[in-house]
Amino acid sequence: MEIEVKGHSGCDISVAREQDSLYVYKSTYDVKYISRLLKQADKQQKAADLEYQHIRVPKIFDVMSDERHATIKMQYVYSKNFVEYFEQSGFEQIDYLIHAIEYFVEKELLQSPVRRVPKEIFIEKFEDVRSKTLIKSEMAEDVQVKELMQRAAVVFESMDDWQIPVGWCHGDLTFSNILFNGNNYYLIDFLDSYVETPLQDIVKIRQDTAYRWSQLMYMQSCDSVRLRIIFDKIDREVDAYFSERYEWYRLYYKPMQLMNLLRILPYATEHRVIDYLKTIISQLLNEI
Amino acid sequence: MKFSLIVPVAADKPEYNDTLPYVFGLDEEGTIICVKAVVGMDLSLFDNIYFTILRKHDERFALKRMLQLQFERFSLTQAKVVVLDEPTASQPETVYRTICREKITGAIFIKDSDCYFECEVRPKNGVAIYPLEELSVVDPRNKSYVAVDDMFYITNIIEKRVVSHYFNAGGYCFEDSAEFCSYYEQLRDLGHLYLSHIIYAMLLDKREFRPILVKGYKDWGTMYLYKMDVINQFR
Repeated sequence: MEIEVKGHSGCDISVAREQDSLYVYKSTYDVKYISRLLKQADKQQKAADLEYQHIRVPKIFDVMSDERHATIKMQYVYSKNFVEYFEQSGFEQIDYLIHAIEYFVEKELLQSPVRRVPKEIFIEKFEDVRSKTLIKSEMAEDVQVKELMQRAAVVFESMDDWQIPVGWCHGDLTFSNILFNGNNYYLIDFLDSYVETPLQDIVKIRQDTAYRWSQLMYMQSCDSVRLRIIFDKIDREVDAYFSERYEWYRLYYKPMQLMNLLRILPYATEHRVIDYLKTIISQLLNEI
Repeated sequence: MKFSLIVPVAADKPEYNDTLPYVFGLDEEGTIICVKAVVGMDLSLFDNIYFTILRKHDERFALKRMLQLQFERFSLTQAKVVVLDEPTASQPETVYRTICREKITGAIFIKDSDCYFECEVRPKNGVAIYPLEELSVVDPRNKSYVAVDDMFYITNIIEKRVVSHYFNAGGYCFEDSAEFCSYYEQLRDLGHLYLSHIIYAMLLDKREFRPILVKGYKDWGTMYLYKMDVINQFR
């Protein structure tokens, strides 16, 4: 059987067989990233302690670190990626997945009371994103990027303090970070976030379902029409579920999604990706 | 409620510029293949029968008159030829344009023109299925597959991936043509669309589809397969 292991965080990923079991080792030798990786391991360990019905979290067996590196040893999961899973899933599997996502965020919400978050946190984050974007000469010379940044600045500066749930979240809950094993879904690549809010997880899921981000990044052939049908379905259901229940979602989803998409911009290198980001950021700004 | 049969025969291929599409050829009894494709069903159940063709094929091969002669021969008084001026991008688009042109209401049964089967039809959502193991010659990659649960409801339909021993035999029933059009309009900009995509989108929205288990399936998906079927009849 072919084993494919991919990471998105810039860490080294390897798989090792020890006795009769496979383990994943995730490591960084970037001294600036060590503390983040340790935070992520802590987050993953805490998530693994909770019960989530169909949602699973790979167990962490060991965390090794010193001042120059950090390594996490964790459970290897035999699984399909989202494309392989969606290409074969019947309507019941998609229905289970939608409910699992809603259930997982509800569990997060139990640990995340709605709190006032000073608007300065978002303004500072935006300024950080803007400087990281415009430091790249290609972006700095792009009139459209500069215009989008100006419009986004107005959005964040004109908002009052945010009233959102704060406490706990995955941090990067895209379909690329979900492994599919039957009707169980393994969450990987937990990420520390500038605000630990379940809203971030809804935003990341909808980055894929509304904006098809992971599909855009997927380079192998697939039934793209079927995937889009599935993404549209998940998007409608997730949006309706949280819209009906939570005012914070109705008020803050779009600004949070705007920040999320802007945060991707400094890391985009391909023209098709930059153009796509500019288009969807512009569309979102028109809706706010 | 009205019940219409639609047979899309509007596929446009470069070779059809100077060669008759093989589904308009005659069998040894003088029946056009795409007409022969539907006679395994009880055609009296349909209020209307539509064969949808392309104008450029009609102008080159006089297909409309050929089909009308067949309708006379088989006493298909409710049958009609719909001639589209321009090629379509997909089979669902051909069906959609037929519905719009002819203002078709009620239930529709869509039958592929390049295969034959016998079955009982009812004006309910359904997909014609046939077990893969019953075929002697088959290219499994050219078919879509249908998964069925223990209660005999369709749970999944997939293009070109073998997820079940039932394949889609080339018959699709929609109990409401307006609903078909609504789904087509939602999906038409997503890319190359198959009827299976429309059914899958409806399944996700909890529409029920029943399998229609057909008998005597014959795959005429290519000229070669059609000739093989004719040869096999004489063995």
